[in-house]
Amino acid sequence: MKSRPAVMEHFATVHTSFVIDFTFTNNITILMGDSGTGKTAAFSFIKECMVTNPKILCIDYFDYQKNIKEILCQANGKLIVVDNADILLDDDTRKYISQDDENQYLLIGRNPKNLFTTKENLFELVSERVGEQTKFMIQPYM
Amino acid sequence: MITIFKNKRDIPQDITYIELNDIFFNQNTAEKLDERAAQFIEKIDDARLLSKYKIRSRFDDITLNIDRLSTGCKTVLNVFYYPDKVFCLKECGNNALEVLYGFEKGFVYSEYAMIPFEMDSVEVQTLGGKKVIDDYEELKEWWEDEE
Repeated sequence: MKSRPAVMEHFATVHTSFVIDFTFTNNITILMGDSGTGKTAAFSFIKECMVTNPKILCIDYFDYQKNIKEILCQANGKLIVVDNADILLDDDTRKYISQDDENQYLLIGRNPKNLFTTKENLFELVSERVGEQTKFMIQPYM
Repeated sequence: MITIFKNKRDIPQDITYIELNDIFFNQNTAEKLDERAAQFIEKIDDARLLSKYKIRSRFDDITLNIDRLSTGCKTVLNVFYYPDKVFCLKECGNNALEVLYGFEKGFVYSEYAMIPFEMDSVEVQTLGGKKVIDDYEELKEWWEDEE
């Protein structure tokens, strides 16, 4: 599914020696790829921004017992970042996400079921050393 | 070889199913780690096991607590150290799947196909029985076949 990002086209933050520099081209970005590339570390750096940035909402396995769909329904104008998405998102919630044009999604997982996405929604995390820092970016999943 | 379930109802009642690999690893598997874990940690997370609870990260070459391993790596270690339990397969990347599919024993579950690009034999189990599959396409077909 090709749709423009509803909330932001770019997100950047710094956490000590780590830099996040993400450019979004779709409203739903599925971040997949090998284990151990730093996806959950990147999530934790974005989650830190949630404290001061009202446009960021982060969800992970610590929200396992909550009603995730209800949380999403109450959100408006947010970049919603979901780690452990393959565990937390049921079919009903996935269908809701596919039709939600009020919020933007960054889903860390590998299962695109019921999100009505195409390969244009699939991305992987890449990192590069810049001086003493490690910079994380996203690129189309090959 | 590992045994794969595609439906929770197929898992025998005397075998515990673990969905959240992170928590199970942090609370149970971490304290069982020994030198055998090092090869998996290096292959999957490109990190080095320094001691029982410490790893040297691939990023920045810094020392981290073992809880910072990837979920895929934790899943592999859960299966290795607890081959009597069934673990959710869904958060494994291809690199973790390749290691997991090479194990001599262990149980995993996913309702959709999670197959590494290169695989050997695995056992699949439903209420109808067990069988061995050693072909990628055949395994994918089994997974997608709604019995």
